[in-house]
Amino acid sequence: MLNQRKRLWDAPPLKSHYDAVIIGGGLHGLATAYFLATRHDIRDIAVIEKRYIGYGGAGRNTAIVRANQRTQENVPLYKEALDLWPVLTRELDFNLMFYNCGNLNLAHSEAALKAMRLQTATAQFHGVDSQLVTPAECKALIPALDISDRPSYPILGGMFHPPGGIVRHDAVVWGLAKGASRKGVRIHQGVEVTGIGVQKGKVDSVETTLGRISTPRVLNAAGAYSAALANRLMGICLPISVLTIQAMVTQPLKPLLDHVISSGGYHIYANQTLKGEIATGAHMDRWPNYTTQTSAHYIKHQAEALTDLLPCMRGVKFMRTWAGLADMTPDMAPIMTGNDPVEGYYQDCGWGYFGFKSCTVAGKYMAQYMATGSCPDILLPFDQKRFEAHRLMGETAALVSYSADN
Amino acid sequence: MKRNLLMNRLEHLPTLRIQPRQTLTIRYNGKNLRGYAGDTVASLLYGCGERIFSRSLKYRRPRGLYSLDGECSNAMMSVDGWPNTNAETTPARHGMVVTPQNVVGSLEWDPMGWMDHLAFVMPAGFYYKLFHKPARLWPLAIKGIRQAAGLGKLQPEATFDCRCDAIYPNTDVCVVGGGPAGMSAALAAAENGLRVVLLEARPHLGGFCDYRVRAEKGGMPLYQWVGALADEVRATENIRVLTHAPVVGVYPDQRITAFQRGSAADVFDLRYIEIAATSVVVATGCIERPLLFASNDRPGIMQIGCAHRLLHTYGIRPAANAVFSVAHDLGLEAAIDMHDQGVTVHCVADAREDGQDPQMLSALAQRGIPHWRGWVAQVAHGRRQLRGVTLSNLTGTFKKRIGCELLVASAGLTPLTGLVTLAGGALAFDHHTGFFLPQRLPPAVQVCGRIRGLHDPSSLSADGTLAGLRAAADCGLNLNREIARAEAAGAAAPGAVRGSKLAMAPGKGGKAFLCFDEDGTVKHVQQAMAQGFDVPELIKRFTSIGTGPGQGGMPGHNLPLVVAHSQASPDSDPQPTTIRPPLVATPIAAYAGGKHDMAKRTPMHAEQLTAGGRMERVGEWYRARRFGADPGAQDEIIGVRTNVGLLDASTLGKFRIFGPDAVKALQRVYVGDMTRTVPFRTKYAAMCNEDGCVIDDGVVIQTGENDYYITTSTGRAGQTVEWFRYHTRYDSWDYHMVNLTDAFGVINIAGPNARQVLAAVTDADISNEAFAFSTCRDLLLRGDVPVRAMRLGFVGELSYELHVPASYMAAVWQMVETAGQSLGIVHFGLEAQSTLRMEKGHVILGSESEQRTTLHDIGLGFLWCRTKPEAKTVGGAALRHTADQPGRLKLVGFKMEDPRSRAPRDGSPIVDARIRGYVCTARFSHALQEPVGMALVDDDLVRPNTRLGIYEDGCNGTLRHAMVVPMPFYDPKGLRMRM
Repeated sequence: MLNQRKRLWDAPPLKSHYDAVIIGGGLHGLATAYFLATRHDIRDIAVIEKRYIGYGGAGRNTAIVRANQRTQENVPLYKEALDLWPVLTRELDFNLMFYNCGNLNLAHSEAALKAMRLQTATAQFHGVDSQLVTPAECKALIPALDISDRPSYPILGGMFHPPGGIVRHDAVVWGLAKGASRKGVRIHQGVEVTGIGVQKGKVDSVETTLGRISTPRVLNAAGAYSAALANRLMGICLPISVLTIQAMVTQPLKPLLDHVISSGGYHIYANQTLKGEIATGAHMDRWPNYTTQTSAHYIKHQAEALTDLLPCMRGVKFMRTWAGLADMTPDMAPIMTGNDPVEGYYQDCGWGYFGFKSCTVAGKYMAQYMATGSCPDILLPFDQKRFEAHRLMGETAALVSYSADN
Repeated sequence: MKRNLLMNRLEHLPTLRIQPRQTLTIRYNGKNLRGYAGDTVASLLYGCGERIFSRSLKYRRPRGLYSLDGECSNAMMSVDGWPNTNAETTPARHGMVVTPQNVVGSLEWDPMGWMDHLAFVMPAGFYYKLFHKPARLWPLAIKGIRQAAGLGKLQPEATFDCRCDAIYPNTDVCVVGGGPAGMSAALAAAENGLRVVLLEARPHLGGFCDYRVRAEKGGMPLYQWVGALADEVRATENIRVLTHAPVVGVYPDQRITAFQRGSAADVFDLRYIEIAATSVVVATGCIERPLLFASNDRPGIMQIGCAHRLLHTYGIRPAANAVFSVAHDLGLEAAIDMHDQGVTVHCVADAREDGQDPQMLSALAQRGIPHWRGWVAQVAHGRRQLRGVTLSNLTGTFKKRIGCELLVASAGLTPLTGLVTLAGGALAFDHHTGFFLPQRLPPAVQVCGRIRGLHDPSSLSADGTLAGLRAAADCGLNLNREIARAEAAGAAAPGAVRGSKLAMAPGKGGKAFLCFDEDGTVKHVQQAMAQGFDVPELIKRFTSIGTGPGQGGMPGHNLPLVVAHSQASPDSDPQPTTIRPPLVATPIAAYAGGKHDMAKRTPMHAEQLTAGGRMERVGEWYRARRFGADPGAQDEIIGVRTNVGLLDASTLGKFRIFGPDAVKALQRVYVGDMTRTVPFRTKYAAMCNEDGCVIDDGVVIQTGENDYYITTSTGRAGQTVEWFRYHTRYDSWDYHMVNLTDAFGVINIAGPNARQVLAAVTDADISNEAFAFSTCRDLLLRGDVPVRAMRLGFVGELSYELHVPASYMAAVWQMVETAGQSLGIVHFGLEAQSTLRMEKGHVILGSESEQRTTLHDIGLGFLWCRTKPEAKTVGGAALRHTADQPGRLKLVGFKMEDPRSRAPRDGSPIVDARIRGYVCTARFSHALQEPVGMALVDDDLVRPNTRLGIYEDGCNGTLRHAMVVPMPFYDPKGLRMRM
């Protein structure tokens, strides 16, 4: 049970042919490999990772999962993603530590309450448990909340979403790597993809720093780097801006927060991990960049916002802060496409800061897409062509702008 | 084992940092304990005989005092309710209440102590492999894990009121570290006339020389030498010394953050410091590298500096007898001092075969202290308190067990390089020193002192001076000659000291802790490696080593050494793990500071409060949502419709744009044709983004030749100038913009009696003929207050919008109020305004639109001029593309099927088998005596009389029904606003 000697995943040499090559050893890449191998019997797969698995967003997010999105295109997808955590825990025989504690989202304005009504009713319409709660009910859920008039943005209400929670993000990386490896998927760390070969409109190979691999299909799942990669390797321009997003944790405490809390007004979320640390973060730096640098301003802002809502947090210490990258589309919904512009090229990116909670379901359907060659119905709305037609998806109500005019 | 050591302090040592005459008392675990001013909580407790300071996180092992700079969680306690407070770095204050954490029972007898025997089921990453089978067990396990995990307890209702301060000094040179090298650097830079800030984490300057009496520099014992240096530093006017101020972050452009703990004499308890420096000198020195051997965590085992400082800084004999297992001359020096103050030193095991300072060796020999070269502690004995230690030679072939109360154990030193890495420098493993040494430094960052492997006082002083001069050169001074001289002095001084690379003591079995915080052992590292984790960074994550309250401080050097040692290819250099800020755990209160709400208030804030206004934050502003308790603001609405009302609309964005090319800029960002403005006529206009989505609406008024006054929505005011600039950035157009948002207030007088009110305050002819709808006039009120008045119709009644210089606002407001008094003028707020304009079918962007809504979607397509001469209107191409695009959400008006039912809640989806749209705003209309609303719906639902199913939250599938009706609901011909 506690086998301490067996490798979780193997490190075999790179072969010259694979049935599928996946660029990126993050959650989406590993999940797609896992579902290809377990559901579609395509096992001859290479996962090519430039650094080590879980280096990027997979290891930098704060692991919150939920299914109360805004639109009917997204809610069913995230609902299924949520339902997959227990399934994967069982299948992988690896405790992903899905802590189903529920998410409480706070409203500080009439506009936010209205947005929550839409989100809550949309969730309920799709059979996703979500309800509006009063400030007093918010306080009952999180006794540390200040529901008085003292905060700059007093709490007017909230939205409680019991099926959400947190998952141990590293465990998902390792669990999927283990599960995929057991089925024959080969994980190659420290290898970089440098080119994609196309013959007669079809993908036929992938160039790597360890040489050429012939393959009929390739998935670009390089997270924040995927748009740049798509441009460099395929000449595709995607409407994606990459921004730094920071997060931090406090020293461990005995149980204080029994649910994930978040607030759009304050731009914060906070959740207590099973280890007792309180992880918090939220908004992105305001300009596009590819650095994972933290900033002096951000941690200070976070402290100000957090303690306005949760005054007792003044007595706790931040012990670590870090940054990751979010690949933002104009409508905050992802891009999942295939066979465009060439057969055999697949793309799964633009998840912004939703990449963690969606990885299971994106892996499941991208695997189906790659195995069958035709787009599953649930992924149809996520075609990049929507941007050419100025048809944004509406996952966010507010205007977003990531360009220099921001 | 408790002895009353209170009176036992060594009172006459010259190095003491306590005041033996000033006693204080703290409350610890229900007892009153006495100490002295200058004590930390940890030294006070140790001085009073406390030996177990905490229980460990996972195994609940007893833990004692190990270091004195807060590198691990051993000494974390609750102090005055602040959880996880490190007793080592917290000054003791009279009346403090201190309690241990994470303990069931007492520190001596913790019933959870049996966890230690379950270690075999807790290998590396065990939690990924346990508790999930069967699945129903997991929720129970979560409860247990949460209770067991975590250290300090925080009461949800706790408040932490402390005096907070924040300073943002600018300086030429920022020196981090107040030891000999840092002080020398500060002096060198200051002597060249530069401003210097010197930061020191401890409460006093002096670094590792502060407590040393044996070694000398220039004939002076080291403590005297650094004392003199400190006096010189403090006497130098252009050096600002900040003590008890650990650096926590380093950011681009030499921006340093730190926090400072105030003493009783300071005006603050916690101070946030953010320094903008031109050059940074890193002189952070070294900490000790823990010695890895079985049970190296027992209370009674401590590092050299800890034992040495307890003795010399706090006057406490750490024990009656001791064994040393060290690998550095500092250990020999401590052993000698310990012996001289009456501690029996059984022997000094030295992991080094050679290279010791001969003077130290002879001093040891003089005192009859055995010195065993190539020996090291292998196993510690005793459970709650150390009873003895088994020493062995480095190959483990010879062993000897010695009974002792205290084991001073250290594998050597490790430099504090966190600042260098955060600043963007690179480290490389150096085989001579055994350190990760700075290999590549970012610009304007200098390093000096022990961090470079130096040890000899003269080297530290020369190296510090050199770094100070280089930093001064970074600031632009030409000091080539001085630098060359300092380089020569440095080269003449002793170089870097050969360091111990000992990774682990020989022998297997037992728990050799790399990380006390997370109970992470050498075995855990090996288990992780066997499972395929080969990068130290991944091993750190899998084993949690270095992720606890002390972060990588203690295991940061040993983990890479152990990994390299255990790896198949022994010639590969150890790889350091990532360092992340804050370098020292920082109280959130220090970052948060005092509460300072940065909201904007209009000039009429106080007057509206007096009038009963319920203020609400709307973006950065406070605005009145309503006056009185009625959430529907009925009286305000009826007042405006039948009489006259008064609204503070000062938050509107207001701009002047002028210059020969101003009209071109307007053409670019507004979708309408801005060449067709008529002077002093209001033109309603909208801006779109590149997707044709409407982002702003407002009026544009030509007020002169090439001179325009424009208004924007409240939310867009902040971005407007940049939006203009960005979209005309390649055109070199000659125009200027002035943001007048805060310079002008806006008063809206609306209602059928509005003219009567305005007429009472102005002599101008404001008849409908002289001042018609959609026009603008500059008026004088009461003969001398200049206002710009516009006739607009947002709420659908006769209405004047007065734009008033902010300084006149209070006067004008009062004038209008007084003038309207006899008519019964009402104040109205956002709620009433929203209902009134909704009855007119007027949109509020963000309320009737969302991110993806185009101009055409909300029925404002008429604002777009398709045939504008300048083709490059922002959003023009998209508008052309989407004008008749099918499948979009469109704005419609609706009434409820049952006019007696209440209005549906804003935001409720409109559904059939799927979601077809949602309610934007719906309210009971007093004018129509039934609810009306606006909704965005699929474009096949826009025809009048289409039935809409409304799905409100909590409706359990029972829909409410509405019918699409034409808009506006009220006064469709618009006669009332033209009255």
